[in-house]
Amino acid sequence: MMQFYEKCRKAVIEGDSDLALKLATEAIDKNKPVLDVIEKGFVKGIEEVGRLWEDGTFFLPELVMGAEAVKKALSLLNPILSDQQTKGFEKGKVVIGTVEGDIHDIGKTLVATMLSASGFEVYDLGYDVGVDSFIEGADKWGVNCIASSALLTTTMQKQRGIIEKLKEQGIRNKYTVIVGGAPCSRKWADEIGADGYAKDAVSAVALVGKLISGD
Amino acid sequence: MEPVILDNINIEIKEKELLKILGNMGRAESWKGKGIEEKIASVLELASKLIEPKGIYVIAEGRSLGGTDIFDSLEKIAFSICTIGEKLEMKVNALSREGSMLEAVLLDSAGSVAVEETADYIENRIGEIAAGEREKVSPRASPGYGEWKIANQKNLFELLPADRVGVTLGNSMMMSPQKSISFAIHISESPVRLRGKKFLKKL
Repeated sequence: MMQFYEKCRKAVIEGDSDLALKLATEAIDKNKPVLDVIEKGFVKGIEEVGRLWEDGTFFLPELVMGAEAVKKALSLLNPILSDQQTKGFEKGKVVIGTVEGDIHDIGKTLVATMLSASGFEVYDLGYDVGVDSFIEGADKWGVNCIASSALLTTTMQKQRGIIEKLKEQGIRNKYTVIVGGAPCSRKWADEIGADGYAKDAVSAVALVGKLISGD
Repeated sequence: MEPVILDNINIEIKEKELLKILGNMGRAESWKGKGIEEKIASVLELASKLIEPKGIYVIAEGRSLGGTDIFDSLEKIAFSICTIGEKLEMKVNALSREGSMLEAVLLDSAGSVAVEETADYIENRIGEIAAGEREKVSPRASPGYGEWKIANQKNLFELLPADRVGVTLGNSMMMSPQKSISFAIHISESPVRLRGKKFLKKL
């Protein structure tokens, strides 16, 4: 079985979506333990891709290809897990969007893709998202984390708005709140009372995992 | 002088610049043989069909820009706004919605290279004009960097009829299309750098 997991892991590292899909199909056809296939195979692969990207071995297209390979596999495997009512894979739920007045989308979408590929259930609200929509989405889907992106010094104030609104409604402690985007920093996160700041998609995965698990 | 419009600017999106913006700066060649080279080639071809590089500039006195006094002591300065149009970003959004993230990321990055090259073209044009008058130019600087506040972007749009090249400004000072650049260039026998925290002290 370890050989099969290793094949899944390598398919992700190679960014081979077709192979990932084929392996996911094989796992289903041969009744392999789906949760293990995901956790010991595909997710291990994307973790390795993240490491290779962080140490400079991989560049952005390789990171994206790895994430796409996992997403393809999960598109087949996740429904099986739901059918089996298997618990344990979902690492947490995240609502994500680019703040109001800001239509930068691609960086935020990449973060959403990496989070999905790493086992989080992600609700992507898109761009130009109002403060109320973040909070309504968080409530509707029962998320653990609200993640907002801002690419301009003028729009990053809306990230403060999310925190203020949560406080106003007395639900600040209900959610982990993280921020990202070019003008943001750890200092900015501290200043507005966010729980964390992520500089890129890979660090966002690590940050959300750490904050949600409380490690 | 009256604002000058440069339409149909001819630029080439250089693969080397695209690789650089994607984070590949002479690194190990682990990426080769994964189909990335082919994807990059097809994205570059697509991008070249989607971009519409154009820009507008004016050469004026520094004090002609309202809302700030940081350029007041400069006798001659070029202000410019340029873009590659909206077709490329519409395609990026469509690819992103379809879940084609790799193509979306590559095309978006190609657009970033293209708009920088468009700004380079205008910068060079202004450099040639300056050289004709035995003057030199500073590197370009944009609102939001150093002492030049992003809020001053609206004054730049008052000075330049950017709508004539299809660029508009939103309330958050964000330009549309997104792949647009606004900038200034000092023209003088001894130009000063217009960026960096200390640039005011040099004036």
